[in-house]
Amino acid sequence: MAAVVGVAAIALTACSSGAPSSNGGGSETGAPVAGAPDWCGPNEITLGLLDGFGGNSWRKITTAAGADEVAKCPSVTGYEYADGQGDTQKSIADIQGMVAKGVNALVVFPDAGEAMLPALRSAFQAGVVTVPYRVNPGGKDGVDYDAWIGADFTTDGKNWGDWIKTNFPDGANILFLSGPKGNSQGEDELAGMKTVIGDDSYKFIGEQPFEPTNWDPAVTQQVLTSAIAKNPQIDVIVSDFGPSLVGALPEFTKSGRSIPALVTSDGNVLGCFWKDNEAANPDFKMMTVATGNDNVRLAVQYAVAKATGGTLPDTTTFDAPVFEDSVSGTPNPVECRDDLPGDIFLSAEMSPEDQAALLK
Amino acid sequence: MGIAVVVLFVLSAILAPSSVSQGAVLGMLPFASILACVGLGQMLVVQQGGIDLSIPGAVSLAIVVVSKVPNGDNSVLLPAILLAVLLAVLAGVLNGILVGWLKLNAIIATLGTNALLFAVVIGISGGSPTTTTRLLQSIAGGLTFGIPNSVFFAVGAFLILTILLKKTVAGRRFEAIGANPVAARATGLRVRVHQSAAYVWAQLLYCLAGILLAGITAQPTAFQGNTYLIPGVAVVVLAGTSLLGGRGYPLATIVAALFLSQLDQFVLAVGVPYAVRSIVQAAALAVGVGMYTINWAALRARLFRPRVKAPA
Repeated sequence: MAAVVGVAAIALTACSSGAPSSNGGGSETGAPVAGAPDWCGPNEITLGLLDGFGGNSWRKITTAAGADEVAKCPSVTGYEYADGQGDTQKSIADIQGMVAKGVNALVVFPDAGEAMLPALRSAFQAGVVTVPYRVNPGGKDGVDYDAWIGADFTTDGKNWGDWIKTNFPDGANILFLSGPKGNSQGEDELAGMKTVIGDDSYKFIGEQPFEPTNWDPAVTQQVLTSAIAKNPQIDVIVSDFGPSLVGALPEFTKSGRSIPALVTSDGNVLGCFWKDNEAANPDFKMMTVATGNDNVRLAVQYAVAKATGGTLPDTTTFDAPVFEDSVSGTPNPVECRDDLPGDIFLSAEMSPEDQAALLK
Repeated sequence: MGIAVVVLFVLSAILAPSSVSQGAVLGMLPFASILACVGLGQMLVVQQGGIDLSIPGAVSLAIVVVSKVPNGDNSVLLPAILLAVLLAVLAGVLNGILVGWLKLNAIIATLGTNALLFAVVIGISGGSPTTTTRLLQSIAGGLTFGIPNSVFFAVGAFLILTILLKKTVAGRRFEAIGANPVAARATGLRVRVHQSAAYVWAQLLYCLAGILLAGITAQPTAFQGNTYLIPGVAVVVLAGTSLLGGRGYPLATIVAALFLSQLDQFVLAVGVPYAVRSIVQAAALAVGVGMYTINWAALRARLFRPRVKAPA
């Protein structure tokens, strides 16, 4: 298998003209494609979209958003998708397989982080436009891959911190829940919050830097039950996976207390939960940031532009915007589509109905 | 085991009073109930000298079926539960045939079944179950007389199991076969039927656990059953059931489930780092298992036997 990939890589390199990183038009812009966005250039290509782990609602919607974005450009005449199924070796083999098949551009969600870097570099050096997104695999733009499209999660943390500062100007007790112990997303988010609410009047309670929940709803429930019992005053809960909280927050009610303020990422089930519970819980204010499905759209635009000779997007950064604020109503009040599944994301560009259809 | 639970609750009250507050106990009991159901199922299999490693797939499948199939529609909940029960029976029959009839190694065979069950999980859900119906949330997650409803389901399962196992001829045959299959066959008992049936009954109990867990967490993942594999075996061993087969101890299994769940709550309440929590849980399991599986008398005799004076 390695030998075959090696031969294919050599063959692809031989077919390339000029530097390995250029493909088709390179940085030159060819004639635009009629009716298509300016990132869609004239050269025909095949594009591969790869997931490290495609098996949850968020990934399904993100993958569909990627395919939807690809469809806006008729120059992309072939589209392939591969799911690493949470297996790093399979994810690496998926990249190698795509290169061997002769795709011109790859958009990769490198769940395994730096472990994916050698495979990305290999594809890039074989002349395939290579664009990792969201999870940073390390390495450098233009050296190991064309560009990483994303942002560290400090922006989310800063957005949360700004809201906390506005709504609790005199300080607050804050419980921060994130995923597995030591995950960099949680650590970045905390760093972002501390740039805004770093002074002593804002106390982070519980295990530091965050309470680990493994992003598991049952563990979240157990951790929250314990935190409620231990801490008579919890003013704000911060969580980077809001939907996992809907089974846990009623623990406050069972303990005879109001659900406190919540800052988190969006989900339809959470918006509906807020609407069901805010009347009976006076402290339950909520602010969400967009969960970021559309990061993939920017990554696709960049990869397609590079490979087809279109106009590159003017940024490689994808900062998830603030989505809902129950206090100010800006940019949106809390949204809920209780006629649709809970696991859709109203912050995504794809319509709620189209998302719901994916999950049937 | 009962003494250990009392000691644990006393320690909890002294060292981490918040872990025995009403809110904490009400939060802990649903998870203890689920673990009790899983443990009772595993106990039946272990009584037959087997072991069942398909718990993760079985629990996850029940969750996915009762959340995905209704897709939020309460009126479809009952058919979904019936479908979950049917799939559980099929999984149990498969395990039963592989281990009871074909005599495959239980560890390997049930791991294989687990993989098949997860294939069905992903086939039905694509990896993403939907939100649990409100009806199931209130049935499984609600309170009656101030007690979580899941406790009543677990106690009901315990009572049914105890009556069948300890008060009926079939139950006593079941235990006899587990204790000594060769002697049982010699007396004309149908060994293979009972060994296979153990896996079916176990799957029904895992299914109950999955349905309760779906209701309690409201927004479960498709892999929610993964965390029940090791604890499911641990409660059986802590309860004193021999891994070689024979008598089962349903009450002790339930008490062991309560012990492990309260231990989790206690360690969380003490506030030690995550790594220390894992070590405490592992140590408790090691001590508990050691109490029943190490021959302490022989060990003591070996260590302290009188030294024979060397001949002059």
